[in-house]
Amino acid sequence: MAEPAAIIGFGQTKHAKARADLSMPGLCREAATRALEDAGLDWKDIDAVVIGKAPDAFEGVMQPELFLADALGSAGKPMIRVHTAGSVGGSTVIVAAHLVEAGIHARVLAVAWEKQSEGNAQWGLAGGRSGGIGAGGAFAPFIRSYIERTNAPEYIGWQVAVKDRLNALKNPYAHLRLPDISLEKVKESPMLWDPIHFLESCPSSDGAAAVVIGNADEARKAPRPPAWIIASAVRSEPTQFPGRDAVRPQAGVDCAHDLYRQAGITNPAQEIDAAELYVPFSWYEPMWLEGHDIAGPGEGWKMVDRGDTELTGSFPVNPSGGVLSSNPIGASGMLRLAEAANQVRGQAGEHQVEGARIALGQAYGGNAQYFSMAIFSSTLP
Amino acid sequence: MTDAQTEPEASSAVMMDDKVTLTYVEDLPPNTVRFAEALVEGRIVGQRCPQCQRVYVPPKGYCPLDVVLLDEGDDTEVSDRGVVTGFTIIAPVKYYGQTKTEPFVYASILLDGASGTLGGQDVSGISADKVRAGLRVKAVWKPEAERTTEGQSARGWGNVEGCISSFEPSGEPDAPREHYQEHVI
Amino acid sequence: MAPVDVALIGWAQTPSVARASIAEPQLCMQANLAAVAKAGIERKDIGFTCSGSCDYLTGGPFAFVQNLDAAGAWPPIAESHVEMDGAWALYEAWTRLQLGDIDVALVYGSGKSSPSDPVQLYPQQLDPYYLAPLGLDPASIGALQARALLDSGRASEDQFAEVAARSRRSARSNPNAHVRGDEDAADLAKADYVRAPLRAHDIAPVSDGAAAIVLATAERARGLVERPVLIRGIEHRLEIHQPGMRDLTRSPSTAAAAQGAGLGGGRVDVAELCALFSPQELILRDALGLDDSVDVNPSGGPLTANPVMATGLVRIIEAAQRIADGTAGRALAHATNGQGLQHNLVAILEGVS
Repeated sequence: MAEPAAIIGFGQTKHAKARADLSMPGLCREAATRALEDAGLDWKDIDAVVIGKAPDAFEGVMQPELFLADALGSAGKPMIRVHTAGSVGGSTVIVAAHLVEAGIHARVLAVAWEKQSEGNAQWGLAGGRSGGIGAGGAFAPFIRSYIERTNAPEYIGWQVAVKDRLNALKNPYAHLRLPDISLEKVKESPMLWDPIHFLESCPSSDGAAAVVIGNADEARKAPRPPAWIIASAVRSEPTQFPGRDAVRPQAGVDCAHDLYRQAGITNPAQEIDAAELYVPFSWYEPMWLEGHDIAGPGEGWKMVDRGDTELTGSFPVNPSGGVLSSNPIGASGMLRLAEAANQVRGQAGEHQVEGARIALGQAYGGNAQYFSMAIFSSTLP
Repeated sequence: MTDAQTEPEASSAVMMDDKVTLTYVEDLPPNTVRFAEALVEGRIVGQRCPQCQRVYVPPKGYCPLDVVLLDEGDDTEVSDRGVVTGFTIIAPVKYYGQTKTEPFVYASILLDGASGTLGGQDVSGISADKVRAGLRVKAVWKPEAERTTEGQSARGWGNVEGCISSFEPSGEPDAPREHYQEHVI
Repeated sequence: MAPVDVALIGWAQTPSVARASIAEPQLCMQANLAAVAKAGIERKDIGFTCSGSCDYLTGGPFAFVQNLDAAGAWPPIAESHVEMDGAWALYEAWTRLQLGDIDVALVYGSGKSSPSDPVQLYPQQLDPYYLAPLGLDPASIGALQARALLDSGRASEDQFAEVAARSRRSARSNPNAHVRGDEDAADLAKADYVRAPLRAHDIAPVSDGAAAIVLATAERARGLVERPVLIRGIEHRLEIHQPGMRDLTRSPSTAAAAQGAGLGGGRVDVAELCALFSPQELILRDALGLDDSVDVNPSGGPLTANPVMATGLVRIIEAAQRIADGTAGRALAHATNGQGLQHNLVAILEGVS
């Protein structure tokens, strides 16, 4: 009963540690105007606006989508503000897609953003208290556990860190540009949350992403190829409870299986041409490969080791450079889904995976408890 | 997609520091009050779900798995000894309100008698590079006169910092992996 | 595509109180358990869950994460959250049910306003460059709106007092409200101003509470409850943020949302309106074309209980209750987001025999 929906436009900002050249509205508009242009549409063509971002404590404005009403052309229209922690960028795309799939709107603009330089994300994450564990403190024990379970060699994390930053050099929007990055440099960089080194960790970025989602009529009219949303799913599980496997969260497994079932995929490693996975700390690449049953237990790090996840490998992961290269927290999830969509649209420029027809976008958040995922196809089944 | 600027133009924008103070005053829920009072007395109290029998420490006032509310009748004491199930060492970052200056251990402890872990604990009396999952520890209690309910909040379900300063090795042999591997957090 | 008819089959609210002694997740669990029980379903029947809450109100980042404990998220569930009143979580769940692959959804909204001071907190909800530095508190914006309405000649302070008096009287029979009274409007009109021309009784109180609703497709609802309450239509619209750039005496977004939701299709017996200040009720009545035959805020409305982030959901519950108990055949529920009626949602509910 759901109508087909597609991403018909994608825009993003040049992500940077601080975009002091733009206000919050300006940051959002840079992405949104690019998305509209990409879709061949104007502000007035949009029926509804869905906005996603992470905790408002990061910028010091409560529910900023309210004051962004004018800047985002949402005055006079329906507007929804999604907040699902780190996965929010992904769930924002999905909420927007549902509005089109339900036949409620023909063209929906979804915007996700964070202007972290205007607040203090470390303070925000700590809830304003001392002893904050930062972004990585919660995940470091899970990573340590993965390494122990699988006996993965220590260089796997460094390898992912290098791969994603070299990919980022092919992405003009990426924040980090580290052409001299090497395994050695990653290994020697300071330890932040043992065993996560500084260069294995995401930056803190200002940035915004925007997509225009259209129905089948709009997709046919759009100037550039659409990315059909052939599957989408979200799953959540409680933060902490006895017996929880936080290394391979059940919510992530269930989300992926729902996704593959919708898309008719039985062998994801083979049938998916490219993946944008939310990897804010390098070890999460092999962990999500296993956590979403793309690789078997203990096999995720071997995919990395073999070079499968390189841009030219058999299962390219994060050709855009991923979260490790740009992390405006609220936008990062949308960047994953939109970059995956761009792969099947053939619009990824220098970081295009040749011949990509089916791509996976994934975002996660909270205590590795929230998952939002989608599969994009260049053709409608 | 349109061309990206490779670098944003230099800005003449003025950055204004706008410091805001927001004060929240909240009553602790009854389960956290009982937890805090017991801590001051040198006891660690959790709650047992009557349906699944899991013991939550600190007590949440409910079981999130069975979706049942719990009350004082479900309170149950647990040991102040347990095992480190997972940990990291955090290099502190400066931000407003931060008082930590040295790298600190951040460990999850599965106390004997509890089904879930007590998170965010310091492990003392051992060098950081020797901390490991499986390490058996016991609470280092503050002297009775120094124990307070300071630091309790309704964010999360309570913490022990006003009464227990850290956990230290108990001297017992390490717990086998099967004992703790399902309790990494 | 033919829209899927969606009905409310269960609902519950915690009694709104000036200061709750239990934590927000515990309030949510109480509401969720009661709503699910009323709906006569099991947790495993729920195909999607959506909640509304606000980090800044709760006083910490990711505040909604703790509330997830109340949602029965194990085994893992398909779930989402909006940084908005639960009424918009209901809108998202209603949208989700249109897709046809699931037929039951759980919605909840919650907030404890008591830990914070609205005067200190709500300026943070305003444009950070031009408005927040003014320290404009919500009652002041409400007062500006009230003053504009008085100056337009379309309302009087006596009418404000009548709204307040009627609301407080209605609340006497509502166990979930916590502000009640039996004063004459004339007596209320003599009280001191708090923010001229608003008096204390003209301003929604600070409340803590949670509310939950179970939705089902009409088809599924028929098999579950005797009197499902159908959502005939639901729409919402945002307006310009700057209060100085719009006519505060009108609510075109409410009118547009109501039209989209199908208000024109017939008269309503009951309207539950999110008027956080008594003048707002007059503005909303005007936008909705409600005459004196409509029973407005029989629950007492937000002037008698204002669990922010659940207040809108409570309006929907109160409207649904009147349909379920037979006192209304068609009801309107309104929710608002932001200040000065910047963002408005309207749902039209009908009984199904």
